[in-house]
Amino acid sequence: MDVVGALQYLAAGFSVATAPENLFYCLAGAVVGTLVGVLPGLGPIAGIALLIPATFNLNATSAIIMLAGIYYGAMYGGSTTSILLNVPGETASVMTCIDGYQMARKGRAGPALAICAIGSFVAGGLAILGLAFLAPPLADAALAFGPPEFFSLMVFGFVVLSNVTGGSLIKSLMMALVGLIIGTIGLDPVSGNPRFTFGQVSLLGGIEFVAVAIGLFGIGEVLVNVEQPAEVLEQRVLVPRFRDLYPSLQDLKESVGAILRGTGIGFGVGLVPGPAPVIATYASYMVEKRISDHPEAFGHGAIEGVAGPEAANNAACQSAFIPLFVLGIPFAPPTAILLGALLIHGVNPGPAMIAEHPQLFWGVVASMYIGNFILLLLNLPFVPLFANILRIPKKVLLPLVMLFCLTGMYSVNNFMLDLWVMLGCGAIGYLMRKWAYEGAPLLLALVLGPRLEVAFRQSLMISHGGFGIFVERPVSLVFLLATLGFLLLPLFRYAVRSLGRRKATAA
Amino acid sequence: MTPAILLLLFGVATAVLSLQIRVGTLRAPGSGFFPFYVGLLLILLAVIHLAELRRRGRDRGGDKMGAPPQNSWRRVLLFLGATLLSTGLLTFLGYSLAAFVLMALLLYILGVRRWVHVVAIALCAAGVSYALFVLWLQIPLPTAGFGL
Repeated sequence: MDVVGALQYLAAGFSVATAPENLFYCLAGAVVGTLVGVLPGLGPIAGIALLIPATFNLNATSAIIMLAGIYYGAMYGGSTTSILLNVPGETASVMTCIDGYQMARKGRAGPALAICAIGSFVAGGLAILGLAFLAPPLADAALAFGPPEFFSLMVFGFVVLSNVTGGSLIKSLMMALVGLIIGTIGLDPVSGNPRFTFGQVSLLGGIEFVAVAIGLFGIGEVLVNVEQPAEVLEQRVLVPRFRDLYPSLQDLKESVGAILRGTGIGFGVGLVPGPAPVIATYASYMVEKRISDHPEAFGHGAIEGVAGPEAANNAACQSAFIPLFVLGIPFAPPTAILLGALLIHGVNPGPAMIAEHPQLFWGVVASMYIGNFILLLLNLPFVPLFANILRIPKKVLLPLVMLFCLTGMYSVNNFMLDLWVMLGCGAIGYLMRKWAYEGAPLLLALVLGPRLEVAFRQSLMISHGGFGIFVERPVSLVFLLATLGFLLLPLFRYAVRSLGRRKATAA
Repeated sequence: MTPAILLLLFGVATAVLSLQIRVGTLRAPGSGFFPFYVGLLLILLAVIHLAELRRRGRDRGGDKMGAPPQNSWRRVLLFLGATLLSTGLLTFLGYSLAAFVLMALLLYILGVRRWVHVVAIALCAAGVSYALFVLWLQIPLPTAGFGL
């Protein structure tokens, strides 16, 4: 697709996105996203999952416009608590705490919040351009993918995700396998036989992934918070006043480079499997510190340390839509939930999606521009309003989140079993945090499991039972070799380290 | 050690149950094929992980779990228990009353001790969520008497 064609499609997308009802859902997504970002204990994953039932009566385009808004909206909201409280509202704002909170302590909370909003806006805007111009040609290329390519790509995704989520690789891989197994409950997608249903009709439809998502990421987080000592639960936050919110010209000048570099880093990281916003913020912070003329200022309120990471997490979360829209394969939990939402709305994600549902793809892309603009408005003049939520003490907030999770879950299918699954997953999610197991690989495997199995069995049928098909096709081979590399990397590092130790003892 | 053993058992259970569904062959994989091999892989990884933990345990003298202090551990159990209880009573009490009970119990467990506060906050939360989910979004949540 040429540039002119893409611009024409984008213009058509804007006419979809500016329809009054879509503007409303875009605004709703942005507001909910900001709220979810501000509230500790409720991240974008549980936030998107909880709002899926509210989209049942909508068409697919409006639904995805709103749910996508929650994802990137949370990136804006998360910075607010980092700067004001030194508490990241969600994991992608951890790096913002370092210098953002120091700026707030020096009375510069206003400029820090403003530069976050501006940085996020610029990064979001540039990354959406990348999404608009890169996704369609990539999707055309991916049309040539058959079941073996998809299988190898998904295996690659799991291994890379498990490798970068932090913590132990083997633990993360085991979590992915557990997710795959849970995903097989219900009807076999190829033959239609019931599996692991123990004769229960209610299990035929499989385990509801929304219940697992809210349980692991919402309820689990609430339980971890419940465990905190009584003083923390009592804690109320004093929100500073925002007399001078606007950054000085000097602030802007210092941040421009950081914002642009953060955008580049974030965009690249978003294309790779893993919790992209988290990694992108970390990478951006390290780069800014390394190339800075005054690295000693980092950790004491350097504005580049706020601008770079905040731009990076927004860019990463926009470019994370590329694998979802191009391949139909999400690389991280929030886009995995969006995949679930697409399926619920009868859209089959994959390389053909952009061609089959142009109004959906271009409408959502255009809505992201509008959404980023709305978020800039929400997060500049209205930031004190959102910060006020933090005045509610945690001992009141946590029961409210629990009530909301239960009610929201029930409204998905009006099904009691889902509530029990969700609470069970909540308890498991709590234990997983205690034992340092990651939830992300499990959730991703649960959503992708059926597609992985279908791709695997179809490949074997094509090859009449030979595994050769996975290595004879070049694209598939490349993904498998890359997977092998990622698996061997820790072994290699271990070998080098123990060799070094032996040398040291010998000397 | 505990989580690794649980995962091992989960893998064994999966593999055994898959055998009952018909695993089939490579040429004609059955419904049990995929879960069977995924289960085997999980067993393999769990065994490797257990061996790793044992070796590390011998180096450091037993692996200690970061157990939370006694008191808050109890609070988590109470919190979860109260949630399970209110959920179990949902169809019997109806949504609005169950929401009130849930909020009141959880607030009390987290240390809101003045009963006026407990009742007032729980009443507000139940009322607002009833208005939002039942009256506005028209979600068919369970009701007991009087349509509440």
